[in-house]
Amino acid sequence: MHIIQTSDLTKRYGTHVGKSVLAVDRISFTVEEGQVFGFLGPNGSGKTTTIGMLLGIINPTGGAFSLFGASDPKGLLAARSRVGATLETPNFYPYMNGRDNLRIAAAIKGVGRCRIEECLELVGLAGRAKDCFKTYSLGMKQRLALAATMLNDPELIILDEPANGLDPQGMREIREIIGILASRGKTIFLSSHLLWEVERTCSHVAIVRKGRIVTMGKVKEVVSEGTSVLLRAADRTTLAGAMERYPEVTSVRCTDDGIVVGLSSGDLASVTRYLAGQGIYLSYLAPHRQSLEEVFIDLTQDNADSMTKIAS
Amino acid sequence: MKILSVLLRIEVLKAVKRKVFWVAVGAFVVFATIPTVEGVRNTRRNPNLAYALPESWPDILGTAAMGPGPFFVAVLMILLCAPEFSWRTGRQNVIDGLSKERLYAGKAIVLAGLILFFIATPVLIGVGGTLFSPSEGGPAVIRSTDLSYMGGLALILLFFGSASLLLSALLRSSGPALGVFFLCLIAEEAVTGLMWRTGERLRAATQYLPFNVLEALGDDLVHYPEELAKVNTELAERGSGPWEFLDLEVLAIAALTYSSIFLAISFLSMRKRDL
Ligand SMILES: Nc1ncnc2c1ncn2[C@@H]1O[C@H](COP(=O)(O)OP(=O)(O)OP(=O)(O)O)[C@@H](O)[C@H]1O
Ligand SMILES: [Mg+2]
Repeated sequence: MHIIQTSDLTKRYGTHVGKSVLAVDRISFTVEEGQVFGFLGPNGSGKTTTIGMLLGIINPTGGAFSLFGASDPKGLLAARSRVGATLETPNFYPYMNGRDNLRIAAAIKGVGRCRIEECLELVGLAGRAKDCFKTYSLGMKQRLALAATMLNDPELIILDEPANGLDPQGMREIREIIGILASRGKTIFLSSHLLWEVERTCSHVAIVRKGRIVTMGKVKEVVSEGTSVLLRAADRTTLAGAMERYPEVTSVRCTDDGIVVGLSSGDLASVTRYLAGQGIYLSYLAPHRQSLEEVFIDLTQDNADSMTKIAS
Repeated sequence: MKILSVLLRIEVLKAVKRKVFWVAVGAFVVFATIPTVEGVRNTRRNPNLAYALPESWPDILGTAAMGPGPFFVAVLMILLCAPEFSWRTGRQNVIDGLSKERLYAGKAIVLAGLILFFIATPVLIGVGGTLFSPSEGGPAVIRSTDLSYMGGLALILLFFGSASLLLSALLRSSGPALGVFFLCLIAEEAVTGLMWRTGERLRAATQYLPFNVLEALGDDLVHYPEELAKVNTELAERGSGPWEFLDLEVLAIAALTYSSIFLAISFLSMRKRDL
């Protein structure tokens, strides 16, 4: 079953022609049951806005979406009882303690008191549940938000930057919690700009840029799109310059290790022939597995960095 | 039905955990108690000054309507509604499963609760006072005129509460909402003064201005025709013209219209805008 489906979902903030911001531009994607779906994009690319529309707090200005197959207001309200979500910063009543804040969420979700204690335990806040929310550190606030999302044992969990403000220990715990939830068959949709985080936890990914999806699919497929090779030669600058002019090249990047080149075809023999023809002899050539970070940078940069800029 | 009890539960929890709520309630209870204690003490000293039901209803209700009650309702309403936007807790409530409409319904419940509380408290304190008073009252404990005055009080509180809900929904932050609220109080005076000086026709129209409608609804003479007749006879003896008010029905409809407009605009704003 499609858990989330959007078609041409659009949001424009403001109505003034000059001043309005097109935050989300005809986004279409589908999240299936059991997927851990990463929603990646640089700051201001429209991740929060997209999630806000799914959660019913931001009114779309175009397109449509469905949750658990429901797209009418009544069906969506019912579907949202199967969702647990956080959006941007944790939003709680600052004058109430952690437990009372969860009591409000629990009342809305219609769950009992013992579930509150379970969730507090799960996120490691049981010892501080009596303290006022405003005295919490950012990481503790994030944990409380995570506890609130899990109160109703949701089938779909939507997390907006869940690792924001957490220490490495906390990040690992989040990753573990996500792993446990995924292994129980829950569907998880999370936005992040922590690429290695997404690469490790997600099964699927969509990369957004300026409100549009630039690539989408299984993490493995997105990462291995095209061929990428690592090259070394005596003179790096001439090597890079020569590869820039090579017809089948898609990207050239200078790293500590050497030059990483993206190719549209897997024909490495013609690369060596081409370089030898330019008087450049390779000391090293190996297939290179791109990280999600590299894919992300490639796809979300305004102009692919020119070699001269990198070399200087 | 279940959703109403959920809304009631969460709104009560939000309020009772708030210190400023108890400060306001405490201050109001003190305000409401002072005139009653005064009344009971006076009647003990001087039996001619009766403090008994139903004769003392105009005093009890007059204190509630013309005293600080309406301001407390307005301020509390703003403090309980506006921060839901600035803290983004209203947003979280919707994420947790309330619709925007239900979030609004929760605030309507707060409004109803405040109105009930700010009527019930002075009434209970006043009635409690009569138990300690030696004076004897008339045959009925409450008359239809007293109920009418109570209705007037409810309309005044409804007006202040719904205006505050509107300010909260539009301004989304308690500081600016309180600021604009007090500015409106001042502006109303100025506008009335200006219209009063400008001419006969505008002078008649000032009667329909919100605060003049409320002032009339809070005036005991509007609700107790015999009292008004007495006052006017005295005035006539002294050669002055009589007091005149708009009809009670007209006043009630005007107040209800204002409140309904405020409630409708706040509902539409809350539904249409992003949280
Ligand atoms: N309430 C608003 N009014 C006007 N513009 C807004 C509003 N909220 C967001 N935007 C704009 O919409 C665009 C997308 O914002 P959004 O918060 O969705 O980005 P994001 O991908 O979540 O970014 P980040 O990674 O920084 O959280 C940005 O250009 C932002 O300035
Ligand atoms: Mg964001």
